[in-house]
Formats: sequence, structure tokens, C-alpha cells
Amino acid sequence: MTSRQQGHRAVVTGLGVVAPNGVGADAFWKATRQGVSVLDRISREGCTELPLKVAGEVRGFEPKSAIDSRFLVQTDRFTHYAMAAADLAVADAGFQPDPEQPFAVGVVTAAGSGGGEFGQRELQQLWGQGPKFVGPYQSIAWFYAASTGQISIRGGYKGPCGVVASDEAGGLDALAHAARSIGRGTDAVVVGAAEAPLAPYSMVCQLGYPELSLAELPEAAYLPFTAQACGFAPAEGGAMLLLEDERAARRRGANVRAQLAGHGSTFTGASRWEESREGLAAAIRIALDEARIAPEEIDVVFADALGVPAADRAEVLALADVLGPAAESVPVTAPKSGTGRAYCGAPMLDVAAAVLAMEDGVLPPTPNVTEVCHDLSLVTDRARPAELRTALVLSRGLMGSNSALVLRRGEQP
Amino acid sequence: MSNPLSYPELAALLQARAGVTVAPGELEQPGAQFDEFGVDSLGLLGIVGELENRHGFKVTTGAESAKTPAEFLELVNSSLVTKAGA
Repeated sequence: MTSRQQGHRAVVTGLGVVAPNGVGADAFWKATRQGVSVLDRISREGCTELPLKVAGEVRGFEPKSAIDSRFLVQTDRFTHYAMAAADLAVADAGFQPDPEQPFAVGVVTAAGSGGGEFGQRELQQLWGQGPKFVGPYQSIAWFYAASTGQISIRGGYKGPCGVVASDEAGGLDALAHAARSIGRGTDAVVVGAAEAPLAPYSMVCQLGYPELSLAELPEAAYLPFTAQACGFAPAEGGAMLLLEDERAARRRGANVRAQLAGHGSTFTGASRWEESREGLAAAIRIALDEARIAPEEIDVVFADALGVPAADRAEVLALADVLGPAAESVPVTAPKSGTGRAYCGAPMLDVAAAVLAMEDGVLPPTPNVTEVCHDLSLVTDRARPAELRTALVLSRGLMGSNSALVLRRGEQP
Repeated sequence: MSNPLSYPELAALLQARAGVTVAPGELEQPGAQFDEFGVDSLGLLGIVGELENRHGFKVTTGAESAKTPAEFLELVNSSLVTKAGA
């Protein structure tokens, strides 16, 4: 987004993905394009006897090979994912931080739940053996801010750092926060979100959400916009991006992948899905206004797609409210039906997919979904070629946040 | 006290509690500093807790802020001596 006083535009130059359907942007995009569904029965130790049966697990990720053991002992799995994704994003951008300019690079992450697995282990020590048996890293590992702190410390990124705790939509809000840092003169921000909600304590916490799908069959657990919609399947993982000031990026000859053109955020209350129509519509209008584009210029919508009938209806109506007649023809997709929703990581994975979709000229499909029961041009079955210049990414949180982000395809200078 | 903390034991504890791999000989080098090995005070605090739980004694407060392995060993072992003498 553009700071109007100084004209700093925030652009995406690197993607780092740790997702249930692939680690690394290439593997993730290949699976996303193909519409592969990786939802499966939860296999983690201590997690198989709970009523929540189906989720998107990140498999084939070996923390020991991705992260120095010094950081491993002091961090939860959600931070392992975030650190690995941050490394991938920085490498993907070909970015070499200048050791003489440590304040030029910041870090922003969003988190919905923090380090539940680490926290559970230490709390079991507390009641099992006593306070002297709780390790000191419990003080930092469980905390929402852990990923930002560790990425900053390890990378030597001493620029503006922050953590956004604004519900699932916080993934998009973190990007807006990072763009504001760039607007104020920071050259680059490592930004995104990754979550690890598939551990026993974390899963029990989620059982209180009425929107959670308790379906037992992976292919039937998360079917947004269909008559069979029965809630959402959760997931772990997420994505980090390297966001740069466009001039700084061009100066170093970086490939400008996309521009953050506009963002809007509203709040309508926990599980009040009918009201989310108005909130989401307002967020979209704010984002379009900031991007200075007309509704009909949107080429693809990455939907929130909660998979709860009232919420799906509200999202369809919000799109109709803002886009008008264009709402029926604009392609809408929800690749997360094949991976599950990684809370704050979910909209970040959609942003990564949107950047890749615009580069590739391809609309990825909505896995497992065949018959749509709303007036919506949902991309199902298989990927479709399309000229994509502008993407709208939507996200809502269970606690009532609604956010919209407009991305514009990167242009060569 | 018959079992003072040695450099090999400290190296093993650094590996287990702080995730830092360092050879006992390196810890023993004159002038060796914890921050060169990437060991911070939280890491040392975890080692202090482990030693206290294992041996049932109280390590002198402030040992976790030791800057060098030699200083840390001295503080831990003198705590053990104090306990043995008490």
C-alpha cells in the first residue's frame, strides 16, 4: 500500500510456505494448482482419541533440518514453521540483509493461539513434578509474540517488529501493519503467520467452536458453499513473505512479484455470521478504495469460505453487495478446502496462492467441492487459465474480525 | 562434595537444555565466553534448574548470569561445597 505523503509502495518479493500440501512455494503451488486435497485423519500422538478427527497436518517437515538446535529447544512448533517459512521467503527474494543497516528490516507476524504444544508439556511438568521442573523457555515459547521475536533475533532484523493478535483475519492485518512500516521508511519486513493447532491441549480448546467440523471422512469434512457444508477442518502451517519498499526492491534488482494495493478490516462479533455480511462488505470497500480500483477490476476472489451455511451465505451476499452484477461472474476460489484452515496462517496461504496464480495466469480450484448451492462462480474441479492482474483475498475470524486485501500483479519496470 | 560439575557434564547439559553443541575442551579454554557459543541466561537458568532437581541443592543466585564457563563452574561447585559443609 502507498503512504500518500512519501509514496513508499509495499511489494512482495519473496514467498515462504510451510503448508499441509507442500513445503516451499513450488511444491505448494503445484499441489494447489492440481487441487490436491491433503485433508486426512489426524495422526499426531495424543490427538487420535478426540472428537476432532480430520485436519490438514504438515507432514514431511523436519524441524531439525530446518532450524538450529539452539532455537529448537526454546520454541514451539508454530515458531518452527514460521522460522522455516521466513528463511524460505528471504531466500526466495534473493535478499541479503546489509549488516550495516540492521534497522532497515522489520518482522511482523500474526498468531491465533501461540505455542500450545510446548505450553502443555511444561504445564504437565508443573502439576506432575512441581514448579522447579518447568523450563525457563516456557516464559517465551508459548507466547503469541514468540515467532516475531525469534525471527528477529536469528536474522538480526532490528527494524520495526510487531505481532498482530486479531483473530484469523490477523494474517491479512499483519500485512497491512508491515505495509505501514514500509510507508514510514522501513526498507523490508519479513511478514506472515504460521500456526500449530494440532496438539492435544490446542485441539481441546478448539472443540468449543461451534464452527468446527467433527466429520470423520476427510473428503466430507470441509465443503464450503455446498449444501453439505458442516463446518471447517483446521490446519497447521502458514506462509511468510518478504515485503519491500518498491524502490528499495528495484534498486537491488529484485523481482517484484505483487503489490499490496489495499486493505480493510472490520469487526462484527464472535460467531455472528449474518452480521459478517455487512462487516466483510465494508472491509472490501475500504480495501478497494485504498487500492483506488473499481469493483469490476477484481479478477479473482480468494474466499474466506468458512464452510458454515450462514457464514457462506453472508460472504456471498457481501460480495454481491460490493461487486454488484460483477459478483456473479468474477471467479471465486477457496484452495483451503483441500488443506484446512490454518487460522492466521490460512489467509497468508491464500495470499501466497494469489501471488502465484497471478504470475502463472491460472485460477486454482476448490478441492472436494463439486455442487455449489450459492450464486457464485466458484472454481471447482480443475484449474483454469485466466489473465489475472488483481486479486481480492478475504478472511474472517471466529471471534468476529473481517479483513480484505487487494493484491496487484507485479509489473516489470 | 564428591561430584562437582565438570566441563564434560556442562557440555552435555548445554546440549540437552540449551541446544548448544560445544566440546568440553572449548568450554575449558582460557577466556571462553558463553555468548561466543550462543548460550544466554535463560539457557543457563534451565541448566541451574536441572542441576538443582538432580542433586537436591540450591545453586547460588546469579549463577545463571555467569559470563564464562569457568565462572559458572565455580559458582555451581561452591554451592555444592556449601551444601556438603552445611
